[in-house]
Amino acid sequence: MNGVLSDPFTISYPTAVQTSLNSGASFAKFDPSGNYVAGGRPDGSAVVWDLDTRAPIRWLEGHVKAVTSVECVAASSCFGFWSRNSRYVLTSSKDWNVIIWDLASDTDPVRRRATVRFDAPVVCASFHPRNSQIVLVLLSPGDAYLVDLRKQCRSRVELCEIQEESDDEGQGRARSAMTVVRFDPTGRYIFAGTSVGSVLVFNTRTKTMVARHKISGAGIIRGLDFAKGGRRLVTNSSDRTLRQFNLPVYTASTVEGEYIEQELEPTYRFNDPINKNAWHAMAYSPDGEWLAGGAADNASHKIYIWDLANEGQFATALDGGPEPLLHVHWHPKKPSIVSTTNVGNILVWHCPTPERWGAFAGGFEEVDENVEYEEREDEFDIEDESEIALRKQKAEDEEIDVECLIEDPSSKLAVHAQRIADDDEDIVWAAEEPDDDLPGWRMKVMIDDDLDAV
Amino acid sequence: MDPLRGLDESSTDDDAASQTTEDDPQVPERQEPAPPPPPAQPVPTPGSARERPHYELRHTMRGHTSSISAVKFSPDGTFLASCSNDKVVKIWSPFTGELIRNLNGHTKGLSDITWSSDSVYLASASDDQTIRIWDVDSGLTTRTLRGHSSFVFCVNYNTSSTLLVSGGCEGDVRIWNTSKGKCIKTIHAHLDYVTAVHFNRDASLIVSCALDGLIRIWNTSSGQCLKTLAEGHDAICQHVQFSPNSKYILSTAHDSRIRLWDYQTSRCLKTYEGHRNEKYCIAACFSVTGGKWIVSGSEDNKVYLWDLQSREIVQVLEGHTDVVVAVATHPEQNMIASASMESDLTIRIWADRRT
Repeated sequence: MNGVLSDPFTISYPTAVQTSLNSGASFAKFDPSGNYVAGGRPDGSAVVWDLDTRAPIRWLEGHVKAVTSVECVAASSCFGFWSRNSRYVLTSSKDWNVIIWDLASDTDPVRRRATVRFDAPVVCASFHPRNSQIVLVLLSPGDAYLVDLRKQCRSRVELCEIQEESDDEGQGRARSAMTVVRFDPTGRYIFAGTSVGSVLVFNTRTKTMVARHKISGAGIIRGLDFAKGGRRLVTNSSDRTLRQFNLPVYTASTVEGEYIEQELEPTYRFNDPINKNAWHAMAYSPDGEWLAGGAADNASHKIYIWDLANEGQFATALDGGPEPLLHVHWHPKKPSIVSTTNVGNILVWHCPTPERWGAFAGGFEEVDENVEYEEREDEFDIEDESEIALRKQKAEDEEIDVECLIEDPSSKLAVHAQRIADDDEDIVWAAEEPDDDLPGWRMKVMIDDDLDAV
Repeated sequence: MDPLRGLDESSTDDDAASQTTEDDPQVPERQEPAPPPPPAQPVPTPGSARERPHYELRHTMRGHTSSISAVKFSPDGTFLASCSNDKVVKIWSPFTGELIRNLNGHTKGLSDITWSSDSVYLASASDDQTIRIWDVDSGLTTRTLRGHSSFVFCVNYNTSSTLLVSGGCEGDVRIWNTSKGKCIKTIHAHLDYVTAVHFNRDASLIVSCALDGLIRIWNTSSGQCLKTLAEGHDAICQHVQFSPNSKYILSTAHDSRIRLWDYQTSRCLKTYEGHRNEKYCIAACFSVTGGKWIVSGSEDNKVYLWDLQSREIVQVLEGHTDVVVAVATHPEQNMIASASMESDLTIRIWADRRT
C-alpha cells in the first residue's frame, strides 16, 4: 500500500541494512505476512520479532540446550518455520524433538500445539504449505519422515528412495543419505537433496518417489529453494555452486514403483569466481526475478544478488559488515531480506528511499533538471466561476468505493492458483481436516509487566 | 465482512435494547419520551442504492461534568468509551445506556481515545502531556506514555495494536511501542497543534493534520513525509482519517466542509456541506454497516448524515442542546453515538429503527 507513494523508482532488491536485531539467532525467517521474523537460537530456543516495533514479542523455549559448536549451529540448531497464516511456528532441534507452537494462545509462555519426538536428532522440519498438521522431518542420519498429525490419518511414514534393481552390485551399495528435504510451494511434492548429488521427488499424498534427478558435479546437496510458483528450483551443493533448474511437470504415476529418472540441466549456475566461496543459503525474491545468495565467508557478511530476468547477471554484492553470515531469507512481499550473523544478530535489509523535501509542500514537485514549462492551451482562459463549480459538482458525482481493498495482483494470482488446485486430488487430500490457521487472526499484544509500569 | 452476519446480530441485539429502554436506571433525569417501539418492517438489504437512513434516539447518557471530546465504539461493538475535559474516561454499554466503568488517573482534561483491536485496551490522550493505556476490564492503567512536551491532542492504534501514534500541541507526531510503553519515533510534523492522526490498514502510513492547515502523509517505518495535501484556501483542517479500505482520506475543515480525498492523486473527490463547523474540532466518520453514509457533528447542535456517493444530506439528528463535537459509528450495527459540549454534556445513541 505504501509502495504507491513511496517508491519513486523500481529497484526491487534491498541495498542497505535497516536495523539489526540482537537476538542470538542463527536462523531467521519472515512469516508469510512479512510482519514478523522468527529466529532460531543455538541454545535451542526461538524468538519471534515484530517488525513494526522491532521488538521481540514471543519466546519459544522448549528445546533442551543441545548445540555446542558453531558448525553445529550452521548445520542444524533450530529451524523456525511458519504455517501459512503465521499462527503456528515449528521448531526442531538436535534434542530429537519437533515442537509446534500456537501463537494465537494468549498465555506466556506460548502454548504448544504438539511435540513430536523422534529417535534421532532432527536436522530440519517444515509444515506442509496448506495444512500445518502435516510435517516433513529430516533426521540426522539422513532419513526423511512425513508425519501426519491429523486425527483421521495419523501416521509417520518414511520416504524411501527406490533403488535400481537391475544391477547386482547395487545390493551392496549404501543407500544415499538425504541432506535436505523441502515441500514445493504447492505442497504436492517433496524434494529431497542427497549426499550423492541427486534430487529426489516424492508425491506427498502417496509418499512414493516420482522422480530422481541426477545433478552432475554437484557433490552433496546442501540446500533447496523454490521460486514462488514452484516451477523453478535452486540448489546449493558442496561444489560451491548454486544451480537453477526449470522443473518438469510430474504426472501421477499409475504403476507402483515407477518413477522418472532424469538428469536436470541447470539454466543458470551461480558461483563466486574470485573467492570461490561456498554458500550458506539462498533465497528467491517474491517475484522470482532476483536470487540472493549468502556467502560462506569467514571474515565478511556478503549477500550476492543475481538478476534472473536478465539472464542471471550478477547485480550486486551487499556488504553487511564483519560478522560472518549464516542464513538469508527474502521478505514474502517486499524488497527486504533478513540475514543472520554468527554472533547472533539478525540484519534486516531494506531499500531506502531518499527524503523528498518537496513532499512537505502541497502541490509542489521536485525536478532533477530544469524543465521548459509549456502552458496548457486553456490554462489562463477566463472562465465563468459558476461553470467551474458546475464542472466540479459533476466530477464529484463519480461513484467511489471506500470499503473494498485494493486488489493485490499477487493475491489474485494466488486465488487463481487456489481454484486450479481445488480440482487436484493431492490438494484435496492436504485440505482434509483443516488446521485452524485461519486468515485474519491477530496476535495478542502482551504488555510487558517487568518494566516500571506507571 | 459477511453482510448477513451484521444483520443477524443487529436484529437480535435490538430486542435486548428495546426491552431495557423503558426503564433505564442510569438516566433518571432524561427528558425524552421513550421512543415508540419500532414498527414491524421488513429488514432492508444493506447497501441498496439511495436508501435513506432512519436513525432515532435510543439512549441519552449523562455523567460527564465537562465538555466531551470524543466517543468511540470498541471494535467488538460491546462498549462505548467517551472522554471529556473532566479528566475521566467513561465506558458505557451502547445497548442499555448504562455506565459500566470510570477510568480515573489523568490529571488534566482528555482530548482523544482509541481502542486496541481486541477491545481489551484503551489509550487516552490528555492535556497532562501523557497517554495512558488502560486495561478496560480492570480499569487500571497498564502504561503511561510520557514524551510529549505539550498537550496530547489525538491518538490512534494500528490494526495489530502493536503501535500507537499520537499528536501533540507542540506539533510533534510520536509513534509508540504499546507493549513496552516506549516512544519509537518522534516526527516534527507540523508547526501548530496536531489535531488528528490515523494509521492506514496495514500501518504503513500515518495521516496527520494540524491547525497549520496541512494534511500530511508519513511513512511509519522511516518517518519520512510522503505527501502534503493543502486545502488550497484558508480552510483549516481539524480531523482526518483513512477510509475503511485506506484508499481515501476524509477530512473536516473550518469552512464547514467535509472532503474526501484521493491521496495518491491529491484530488478532492467529494465535498459534503450543509452543517456548520467554523470554530471547533469536529470529527466526521464513515458509516458502512448499512447504507454508506458520512456522519458528522455540527455547531448548530445537530448530527448530519450525508449519502457518501450523492453528497445529499439524508438525515439530520436533532436533540443535543450544544455543539456536537464527537460522533462514532458502531462497527457492526446501524448505530451512531454523538456527544456534545459544555451546556449539554450528554452522549446520545441513535439506531436505525428498521433494524
